[in-house]
Amino acid sequence: MTELLVKNACVIDPLRSINAETMDIAIRDGRIVEEVSGAAEVIDVHGMLTMPGGVDSHTHICGTKVNFGRYMSPEDMRAGRTPRRGPLHATSGYSVPTTYGNSYRYSVMGYTTLLEGAMAPLEARHTHEEFIYTPLQDTMANTLFDGNWGIMEAIRDGDTKRVAAIIAWTLRAVKGFGVKLTNPGGTEAWQWGKNVSCIRDPVPYFEVTPAEIIRKVIEANELLHLPHSVHLHANNLGTPGNYTCTLGSMGLVPDLNKKRQTLYATHVQFHAYGGSGWPDFCSKSEPIANFVNMRPQIVMDMGQVMFGRTTTMTADGPMEFNLYRLHHEKWSNHDVELETGSGIIPVIYRRKNLVNSIMWAIGLELALLTESPWQCLLTTDNPNGAPFVRYPEIIALLMSKKYRDAEFATVHPDTAARVPLPAIERELDWYEIAVMTRAGQAKALGIQEIGKGHLGPGAYADVAVYPIRIDEVDPSVDHQKVIEAFGQTEYTIKRGRVVARRGECLIDGSNATFWVKPKVSEAYDMGKDPDFIEKFDRYYTVRMRNYPVQEEYLNRNRCIETEAEI
Amino acid sequence: MKVTLAMKPTARSFIPIEAESIVPKNFLAGTDLVVWRGNRELRLDEVFTVTVEGHADRSENVEVVLSGDDTFRLKRVGEYMEAGKITVLGNIGMHCGNFMTGGEIEVRGNADGWLGREMGGGTIICRGDAADYCASGYRGGRKGMTGGTVEVFGRAGDFVAEHIAGGTVIIHGSAGDMPGAEMHGGTLTVHGDCSRPAANMKGGSCYVFGTAQGMLPTFRKIGTVQHEGRTLIRFVGDVANRGKGNLFVRDYVYLD
Repeated sequence: MTELLVKNACVIDPLRSINAETMDIAIRDGRIVEEVSGAAEVIDVHGMLTMPGGVDSHTHICGTKVNFGRYMSPEDMRAGRTPRRGPLHATSGYSVPTTYGNSYRYSVMGYTTLLEGAMAPLEARHTHEEFIYTPLQDTMANTLFDGNWGIMEAIRDGDTKRVAAIIAWTLRAVKGFGVKLTNPGGTEAWQWGKNVSCIRDPVPYFEVTPAEIIRKVIEANELLHLPHSVHLHANNLGTPGNYTCTLGSMGLVPDLNKKRQTLYATHVQFHAYGGSGWPDFCSKSEPIANFVNMRPQIVMDMGQVMFGRTTTMTADGPMEFNLYRLHHEKWSNHDVELETGSGIIPVIYRRKNLVNSIMWAIGLELALLTESPWQCLLTTDNPNGAPFVRYPEIIALLMSKKYRDAEFATVHPDTAARVPLPAIERELDWYEIAVMTRAGQAKALGIQEIGKGHLGPGAYADVAVYPIRIDEVDPSVDHQKVIEAFGQTEYTIKRGRVVARRGECLIDGSNATFWVKPKVSEAYDMGKDPDFIEKFDRYYTVRMRNYPVQEEYLNRNRCIETEAEI
Repeated sequence: MKVTLAMKPTARSFIPIEAESIVPKNFLAGTDLVVWRGNRELRLDEVFTVTVEGHADRSENVEVVLSGDDTFRLKRVGEYMEAGKITVLGNIGMHCGNFMTGGEIEVRGNADGWLGREMGGGTIICRGDAADYCASGYRGGRKGMTGGTVEVFGRAGDFVAEHIAGGTVIIHGSAGDMPGAEMHGGTLTVHGDCSRPAANMKGGSCYVFGTAQGMLPTFRKIGTVQHEGRTLIRFVGDVANRGKGNLFVRDYVYLD
């Protein structure tokens, strides 16, 4: 039995409505408890800001396309090198670091839970193998269903239960966590050299529209009672004027779940563009935020862009091809058989570039114009908008009008005429930042019930202590102190052990992978469905019996079983 | 100053030695350097018999001589070298002269892969053959060699001068497949034969004084020119990449 007592912590724990109360946190054997014995190890944090461990509900850290991003960018791997030290492995890379690089840097910032944003089911083993070497965070993987042939055929036949059954079989087989739709239908159309322009364009051959895919998959997701909602990367990413398409997609979403949202719209910054082309490109964050404000069934994340070098990677193959035609740089394109695809290109976002400056403003506007912080979470779609190490700067920008104005003065001069940002006075407070970086993310992912994202008794003892006293620092003026504090925790505690302290990781931990196993009736077990088996054997390059990811690929894991309605 | 490093023969001679510390500048402060064999750090005198003659206070005046039968196991010799001279009496291992910006490296024997990778200046002379990726960029890199000279008197392997953006590469023998692939600048000369030269070139000049096998169809033929007493056929391309490079070949055989 190991016991730990964190004393004099100034706790913000939004899932329990605790706002800056000084209290002690008792930990026994990796869980939060009511009290510990006198023998417990004591850490006195002297009133420092203490929150549940950070949760990133959309990041790209593990898997085939992340690894290809590393492979195609030796210049990126030459940045950020650290040697082996004590229990720590050597790391390298900046925008797509090695797995240990990701893990250590997230841990130093107080993050203890990560969701890989897009895992191609066929290539799930790679993602799970890299999860094992991401030692200081618990992990889970959104599984791609945007171009799944079986699902599109079931949708064409109007059979929602079969859609659910295929999702259930696949999630169970690949040890996935949630359902991700990336440019639904578009990546399949890309296999025919085409794309879909918006939600009403039919996908070649299958003759279903993205709107039908989104709606049916949402219904299927709720039939399976999955912890997380459908996770949507909407069609038409990065195109001027795409906000109408985004609003159209959001308008499809009914309110089907009492506990959480029904749709998680990811990196909405990339989907909130006005104008008819690049010359009149402008921000449409206001209509998007207003729409979300009226619909509690939708949660989005920012997908903030920060200036500098990074790597874009997504399952949205056609979009990456369009980016390639803009930049004429390196490009990778990848097709995943009956499921999805992907593309990667490195980019540099520049302050001197008007479009990049507008993109930077849009992300901030979304966060500031969305009334409830529970509905707009803080991400950069790491590494697409910026590497996650930029989060502290984003927090400071959201908390300080002064800092925003100072930064705004350095961007392209025409930006002011295209964006509402300079007129926004709102400054977020500590509580709202806690929501956007952990509590809201845990709630959106549906993992608060298994003890993530809060500090209630029974929860996983994941705690981040930041070296800042919120009664002494005014974030609207002292933005530099905010950046420093969120950049480096005083203590990061993961499952009851101090894993990072003042920028140094202390131990080689071991993570846990969360995955979902929906229980369906015999009639909907796709493993026994003759039609499904026949299609599988005819079109996949692998045998169906070799497809499921074996348990050996998950060292420590927690299976979340759900009772499906089918 | 002349530093002679005579490599000691060892029983376990198959493990490469990472010797990026062997650059002339480092010997100005003495010979107390380390190299790596696998995951073991070794002092220089555990691997070599070290003799120093004379004295120097500038890298330009330092000559390092590597001898022994096992020098082909040494990797990264002369990495980031700025001045001075390295002479290898036998063969040298991979990544010799990586990122070098000045000075001279002479290899009397053969060189393994990646000789002079991403070099920015200086001279590399290889009296024997060079393996693949001689004077090239790294996998996934945008730019290969940007300056300096690499001269190989023997043959060269595949992907010579891949991604070259500046500088001069001369191969006196034949080259393998894809010499000058993705070149954007600089000059590549192959005295012998090669196959598929200058694929996807954007700029620069590539000369093939032998036969270009598997000549790519995406080059526009201009006509014959006289070059250093030779009659060569000039092509411009690579059209597939909207390139404006010049490819000169003595004769060519198109891909089937």
